Amino acid sequence: MKHLTTPIVLALLLVSGMASAKGDAEAGKTKAAPCAACHGPDGNAGIDPQYPRLAGQYRDYIVQALHEYKKGDRKNPIMAGFAATLSDADIDDLAVYYSTLPGGKLTDLHGHIEGEAK
Amino acid sequence: MTRALLLAVALSIALPAVAADKGDAEAGKLKVYTCAGCHGIPGWKNPYPNYHVPKIGGQNYDYLIAALTEYKKGERSHPTMRAQGESLSEQDMRDIATYLSSITP
Repeated sequence: MKHLTTPIVLALLLVSGMASAKGDAEAGKTKAAPCAACHGPDGNAGIDPQYPRLAGQYRDYIVQALHEYKKGDRKNPIMAGFAATLSDADIDDLAVYYSTLPGGKLTDLHGHIEGEAK
Repeated sequence: MTRALLLAVALSIALPAVAADKGDAEAGKLKVYTCAGCHGIPGWKNPYPNYHVPKIGGQNYDYLIAALTEYKKGERSHPTMRAQGESLSEQDMRDIATYLSSITP
C-alpha cells in the first residue's frame, strides 16, 4: 500500500503544481481591479498611451514582466509598487486573466512586414 | 476677433509640433524588418528564460517609445533587445512605434 500511495501523492502534487502555474482567470479578474485604472477595464489601455495594452498578450510574457518588476529588474515606480504586493499565485492569476481577455488589439508582426511573403 | 486669430496662430504652431513628435509609419514599416525575426513568428519563444516574445503589433505608441528607450539606456536587461535598442536613433524609435501602434489584428 505504501508503494502505491507515493506515486499517487506525487501525481497529485504535480497536477496541483501545474494548475497553479497556469493561474485562475476568475481569480485574476478580481485581482485586476487596481490594474484597470491605467490598463483599462478591457485591458486595452485606451486611456493614456504611456500604458501598455495587456489584453491578449502572451500569458508567460506577462508572468515574466511582473516578476521582473517585483525583483526590480524592470524599473518603473508605479509597477514596482503594485508588483511588490503580488504573490506568485497572484501573478499567475493576473497573467491568465489578461492573456485570455477577449477584444485585444495586440498581434504579432506576421503579415505586417514589408517584403514578407504573405 | 483678435482672440480667435491668436488661437488660430497658437494652434498652427502647436499642431505641427505634436505631429512632428510622432514618426513616419512608412519608414517604420521598413525598419521593423529586423523585429520580425522574433516578433513576427506566431508563438516564438525567448530561449532563456523561456517565455513567448511579446506581441507588439497594436501596442500603444508612448509605451513602445519608453520600452525601446529603456533598452537603449540599459535599464531593461534583455540582451538581444538591448543590442537592438543601442542601434536605434530616436527617429528610428518614433518611426517604428508609429508603425507598430498603427497595426490592427
